[in-house]
Amino acid sequence: MSQQPLASSVQPTDIYGGDEVAAIVLDPGYCHTRAGFAGEEMPKQVIPSFYGQIGERELFGDEYINPRANFEVKNYMNRDSVVEDWDAAANLWEWMLVERLQPPRPLPPSKNGLNIGDDGDVVMDEDGNPSAPPAEGAEEGAEEYEKPLYENPLLMTEAPWNSAKAREKAIEVVMETWSCPAFWLSKTPVLSAFAAGKATALVLDVGGANTSVTAIHDGMVLKRSVQRSHVGGLWLSGQIRTMLDGSEPKVDIVPTFMVENKKPVEAGQPAEARLRKFDFPISNSFRAYEEERVLTEFKESVVEVWRSPGRLLTPGNEDYARSQPGRVFEFPDGYNQMWREQRYKVAEGMWDENAAYGANNADESSRLSKSQTIPGLIKAALDGVDVDVRPNLLANVVVTGSTSLLNGFNDRLNLELGALYPGMKIKIHAAGLTSERRFGAWIGGSILGSLGTFHQMWISRTEYQENGAGIVEKRCK
Amino acid sequence: MTSRDVHDVLNIPSDHSGAPRPSKKGKNHGPRPNLKGLAREVQNLGGDNPIAIVPEVNFFKKRRFASRKPATKWELKPFSNSARGDNGNLILRHWKRKTEDGAPAEASQDSEAQPAEGGTGATEKKVEVLEDSAFAKFNVQVAVPQYNEDQYHSNLQSDDWTKEETDYLLELAKDFDLRWPLIWDRYDFIPKSSAEETANGTSTAVVPAGKSRTMEDLKARYYQVAAKMMAVQKPAQYMTRPEFELYEMMQNFDAEQERKRKQFALNTMSRSKDEAREEESLLLEVKRILARTERFNEERRELYRRLDYPNSDADISPFKSSAGLQTLLQQLMTTDKAKKRKSIMGPGEGTSPASAVPPSAVSETNPVNNRRESIAASSVAPNRRDSDIHTPVTPAEPTPTTATNTKKKGAAPPERRKLTQQEEQVYGVSYHDRLGSGPTFRYEKINKLYSHKSGQQQLRITNALAELDIAARLVMPTAQVTSQFEVLWGAVTGLVDLRKISDRLDGEIKVEEAKKAERDKARGIVNGDKEKAEKKGEQQNGEGGEKDKAAAPQNGDAPAAASVEKNTAGETAQDAPAVAAPDQAKETEVKAEEGEEEKRPGSSGGTGALKRSASVLSTASDKSAKRQKK
Repeated sequence: MSQQPLASSVQPTDIYGGDEVAAIVLDPGYCHTRAGFAGEEMPKQVIPSFYGQIGERELFGDEYINPRANFEVKNYMNRDSVVEDWDAAANLWEWMLVERLQPPRPLPPSKNGLNIGDDGDVVMDEDGNPSAPPAEGAEEGAEEYEKPLYENPLLMTEAPWNSAKAREKAIEVVMETWSCPAFWLSKTPVLSAFAAGKATALVLDVGGANTSVTAIHDGMVLKRSVQRSHVGGLWLSGQIRTMLDGSEPKVDIVPTFMVENKKPVEAGQPAEARLRKFDFPISNSFRAYEEERVLTEFKESVVEVWRSPGRLLTPGNEDYARSQPGRVFEFPDGYNQMWREQRYKVAEGMWDENAAYGANNADESSRLSKSQTIPGLIKAALDGVDVDVRPNLLANVVVTGSTSLLNGFNDRLNLELGALYPGMKIKIHAAGLTSERRFGAWIGGSILGSLGTFHQMWISRTEYQENGAGIVEKRCK
Repeated sequence: MTSRDVHDVLNIPSDHSGAPRPSKKGKNHGPRPNLKGLAREVQNLGGDNPIAIVPEVNFFKKRRFASRKPATKWELKPFSNSARGDNGNLILRHWKRKTEDGAPAEASQDSEAQPAEGGTGATEKKVEVLEDSAFAKFNVQVAVPQYNEDQYHSNLQSDDWTKEETDYLLELAKDFDLRWPLIWDRYDFIPKSSAEETANGTSTAVVPAGKSRTMEDLKARYYQVAAKMMAVQKPAQYMTRPEFELYEMMQNFDAEQERKRKQFALNTMSRSKDEAREEESLLLEVKRILARTERFNEERRELYRRLDYPNSDADISPFKSSAGLQTLLQQLMTTDKAKKRKSIMGPGEGTSPASAVPPSAVSETNPVNNRRESIAASSVAPNRRDSDIHTPVTPAEPTPTTATNTKKKGAAPPERRKLTQQEEQVYGVSYHDRLGSGPTFRYEKINKLYSHKSGQQQLRITNALAELDIAARLVMPTAQVTSQFEVLWGAVTGLVDLRKISDRLDGEIKVEEAKKAERDKARGIVNGDKEKAEKKGEQQNGEGGEKDKAAAPQNGDAPAAASVEKNTAGETAQDAPAVAAPDQAKETEVKAEEGEEEKRPGSSGGTGALKRSASVLSTASDKSAKRQKK
């Protein structure tokens, strides 16, 4: 007989230090925006930060990004993961938090159609309704009640290099448009470290638009350690594009929506597919977005990080990679090919600036520098912190971000760190679950937002009203 | 009908299933239940592989909760957090188990009222009855030293730090709860005045960034401030022990040392792989060596314990009777059993003396004669066993632990601390020769010196001393005076000895010359004259030297000479015997050559030898002349 769970009367209530107040956690990133309730293990809502625009109309969510006339795909963030278009951001967030996360709310009694006739029954009904606004502060209460998130504190994340202006704008949006009772702004690496169960950690976040390395000490970002470069998922896509362009024969990326039907072809043979015809022009932004999807699939299934001793450029290693069994990838139009050493080569630039495509460019700006590679970032980050905390940081390396899900990433990281800091104890903590790696910052926020001891930190609505938006700089350090 | 029948009907050879796996068959037979009637028939159809029959379950799963109590009710309750310090302005809501009215389970404050759905528009009344968060008590803040303007000016002035910057540092320390890596990371002080200047504006003005401070600077300043304020609030002598320790620690913070330590740490981090490996192996080696020495020491201690000499003068009166011996045996047996001996000897070796000695000591029925012997033997035998025997012998002490024994023996008297020269002076410590029993006078020591000398020498020495105006017997023989006198005396005797030697050599040379003159006369060789003249010149030189030396003390006035003697006391004391020794050696050489000469008279080699000896003499006299000059 299986063990019965503890009766609810004996169950400990505060053993985990949790105290759930229905806080909402919002984690905006360049590729995806995640939102959900604190205390849950996965975000309820994950939608692309890209949104569609037709004229003035904005369309949010994956399911609305379809080929349409006059359809542009935009992103409310810039490549630094800092919000750029605040109107769109506020709209997108509101769509997520209100439309998607909240239950459909009853219309106020005056509008719900039941009160057409003024008979007494309806009035009584209103009195008995527990979710009705309190009777005494009716006027202001009613006003608050109109606002969508009046009872959910909101925990938002930001990049460690976020500007003070953007932070103030964030609290303004949250407090003014949704009237949240409380707000907090937390930095993504801190939350990723929390998700890994660490208060002190060196967080390596390999995301879509950026790769960043940040040292966290006792739950706070060490500002001098923050290092970032653009070597992330999008950069990797760029490498793959260069590789496809340069391969023989040249491979064109035809996104899935263009293909009406296709026939199977031999490996390396030109594709035989009938493409769909649209009677309106497809915008470049939409096509780029769709191509990015194909490339994401390519990254997921083909790309691998070179993880044998030595780098890929070490003589002999590339030939060895060539001799290993490759992987076949079929593009949406049916073209397929076996990828062998190329699949290592595209990711090698993350580690070795000389191995990246375009390393021999004459143009300085497009070339990677050593400090932009992951070992370079880590070294620079550690150089920016006190020598006493470095061993502790190296023993708590947290890896997060979806690009870190590349095959062999952690092995390579371990090798590189071992070569960089011989004789130090290095321990890499990377969540095994794909989703935990993808949503690391959100999960950390979920943990933080449901902690009993955290509730003393919230910036309350009253405090915001008294001190203005500047309070976020003072409080969220 | 059995399975065999079925097999028969279907023409299947039955043995292929049964024969090859007899062991399995046997296994299957065991647990087969005794079935009856139709059930058995059905079971038999399966033959050796019994048919799995799944029993039909015709009742539902048991209810999980035995109690039929109604489900507990939960309610959404607002709460505030007193740790926020905003008078409960923020009211959040969480789910709490609903308590019965008046139930004592929850705190009385929230059972008292059913707070209406508050939301954000809370009034004062509600705040009073609101539940406080259970986590508010975890809010702990660090205490940062406080000071006012006056205190700062009287105690905390610093050339390097302005008051503004110090304030800023303390603020940061409070904000970050004294987490120094964070404080250092966020430290970004911009002096106010300069900030104003730049605001006013000439665009050319360089923005003077605040001094970049290292973490050690920050710590040093903070600890300095904290220690001073601590002392201001409570003078050091009134502090409790932990307070004082903290105070001491903060006062003794050495930024320089910290900096060096960090430099070392940095160097350790930037080691190459090989260096790291080498260091690791070295550390291992050290560990192994340490372990080995520990074991070695342990073994040695064990050995010493075994070699422990038993003292045989314990009281043996209780064992003079056979009954006493019997009890001794009993005691030995019990201690032997009780004791778990740690020994490095093999088990056979370790136990053999235990089994051998006591029976031999006890088995004697008539112990009167043999007792002596056995005790004597045991006292002689350097056996650990015996030391064990002898300790329990004293009846008052029933705990015969060798441990205490070894402790006493093992703890050698602490080595006497070596004093430095300065300390010796401070404490007035001096070392002397072994003194005889009874009182002695210091001047007797000097008298002793005379006793070894012949009468003539004694006379000479006293003469020399008299020339220096020093009484042969010291008037005030303090330790220093006697030691100085000894030095002087040594010098005088050295001189006297040298004079004696020179006198003798003079005499010998004269004799030889006389002999030679006679020989020359006898042979009448002409060219001998030349040599003679030469030799005589040398001889006179040598004599002159000797005379000078002898005359020196007479010529110089006494105190000056004495002071010279004192200054060069050490040197002369050393020189005198050193010079004397080669002189003597040469003397013997000269004698030997003389002997040769006597054997071969008339040879030209004889004159050469003589010449040489003369030159030797002259060098010796030169030396003594030099010493005199000094």
